[in-house]
Amino acid sequence: MDERFILVGARTPLPPPPPEKKWYAGKPVFSMVVLAVIISGCLGCELFIPKDPVYMDLFHAVESPGREFWFGTDTMGRDIFSMIWFGGRVSLAIGFLSTAISTFLAILFGAASGLAPRWLDELLMRLTEIFLSIPSLLLIILLQAILGKAGVLSISLVIGVTGWTSMAKVVRSEVRRLRNSEYVLASRCMGAGFFHVLLRHLAPNFFSSIMFMVVMNVRSAIAAESTLSFIGLGLPLEIISWGSMLSLSEKALLSEAWWIILIPGAFLVATMLCVTSIGNWLRGESGQKSGNL
Amino acid sequence: MRQKNPFLYYGRKLLGFAVSVFLLSLVVFCTARLAPGDPLVSYYGDRAEKMTPQEREQAEARLGLDEPIHVQYVRWLENAACGNFGISYKYKTDVISVIAGRLPNTLILGGTAFLLIFAGALALGALCAWNEENFLDRTVCKVGTIVSCIPEFWLSLVLILVFAVQLRWLPSSGAYTIGGGGLADRAVHLILPLTVTAAGHLWYYAYMIRNKLLEEIRSDYVLLAKAKGLSRRAVLFQHCLRGVLPTYLSLMAISVPHILGGTYIVETVFSYPGIGTLSYESARYQDYNLLMLLCLISGSVVILCNILAQIISEWIDPRMRSGEPPEVTKHG
Repeated sequence: MDERFILVGARTPLPPPPPEKKWYAGKPVFSMVVLAVIISGCLGCELFIPKDPVYMDLFHAVESPGREFWFGTDTMGRDIFSMIWFGGRVSLAIGFLSTAISTFLAILFGAASGLAPRWLDELLMRLTEIFLSIPSLLLIILLQAILGKAGVLSISLVIGVTGWTSMAKVVRSEVRRLRNSEYVLASRCMGAGFFHVLLRHLAPNFFSSIMFMVVMNVRSAIAAESTLSFIGLGLPLEIISWGSMLSLSEKALLSEAWWIILIPGAFLVATMLCVTSIGNWLRGESGQKSGNL
Repeated sequence: MRQKNPFLYYGRKLLGFAVSVFLLSLVVFCTARLAPGDPLVSYYGDRAEKMTPQEREQAEARLGLDEPIHVQYVRWLENAACGNFGISYKYKTDVISVIAGRLPNTLILGGTAFLLIFAGALALGALCAWNEENFLDRTVCKVGTIVSCIPEFWLSLVLILVFAVQLRWLPSSGAYTIGGGGLADRAVHLILPLTVTAAGHLWYYAYMIRNKLLEEIRSDYVLLAKAKGLSRRAVLFQHCLRGVLPTYLSLMAISVPHILGGTYIVETVFSYPGIGTLSYESARYQDYNLLMLLCLISGSVVILCNILAQIISEWIDPRMRSGEPPEVTKHG
């Protein structure tokens, strides 16, 4: 260091360098690990599950957790440990698929409404309001009836179609904020169409602000699937998912078989909790203020 | 940019409400009829399947189901305008009396839950903001995140399992013991459904109040109030809370339908005789007239609450009135 000038009395020691940030600082590592374990366990369940999850062993119905059946058996004699991993696939698939559907609808609808002239925007928003005020139960029953027998695809479609509105509102307001930017204007002047503007200019800008809603949508879709299956509007008993496993719980209450209710539910809640904490982290990352609806 | 005429303002809102309800009735009417299913089954029970074609035709004509859909709708509309919503196919009585028998149960459950959530969220949120980043605050936030991740039906099941099946402290279903029905009996039946409904929503609103309060605490006037020598409590409760309250009110107006929707699931799990179980039945078994009125009631509650929330938020911030994002304008 050049010491030609000595500043008397002004020598403050350099502040210690900030501690190097670990790559995982602030990230929900625990949730990510748990979620990764659950997802990979579900995907690769053939490798380790001890029993055939669909085989109904009526001699061993309602058996409490023990050495042979780790998590017990349900009222139809199926092994719950195997069912959880096998059924988790269906639950997760429905979660992701219906989120994809709602995100697609929300972006399309929100962008159309945001770019539209004022009267059309007003009309579209009113329609959303009316759509929201139809009891979703009716909508679901109706869609189910139209789509025929309930399956993974039809349930995802039903949940996706009924769950896009709040995201659409965010997309709309973001698009309204962005649509007067110079680059959008320039692009439109050069004759870009709706989809070009949406995909090239708008979507990259608003994606971070809906990212956390997308993640939260996975959570609510998984919850919706289990609720629907539980009240008998969702998947039938033969298609194993966490929800359809829980639909046996009314019978389980009578025989006090706590494991039929608690174990699949615990997996369900754990998954949702992990997804939520990842979503909350994403919300913090995108710098959005929370709690403002 | 002052508001012109209050009559015009509320008139417009009223018109919007009427149009929305009308459209809602149209949509529900059409979708319900287009859905596959046999309404005769809900009227005649199993007998409907053994009917000869002639009998079926007669039965359909008697219920007015043989006409094209738009004629049916117009006739329904005419009757509805006179306050006649038809009879329920399943209960064979006037729809209004069927609903009137169930509505109080739902109102008691939903209303109490709403009050609990409203007051509880305010208290909890203020408590958390008071103890910001404290052990208490962190615990409440963590517990809230966990509880809000639990699906309502599963929480109900677990509570039934613990309190009704294992401990036998509380009844597991119904709104009152058959034969009995005193106030205490009803209250005991209400505990579990109420807990589930309130627990599902409380945290979200408490968290919102907490964040809003923390935001408010960081604003400039708080500094002034402190400099003036007000105590911490006085600042928080007299100034900050007052600043948050209008937003909270409009949010709570929107929350009414959510809370009502939450009671639907809870009613089903606890077989609580309310509107929720009734609408499930009516949609499932094509009880058209009953379904129509139920949808209209719940739909108008939703629309009304939305309008209420809009009015409150416009009253707070007049810039919202134009529907455009707030711009910097001079207010006279």
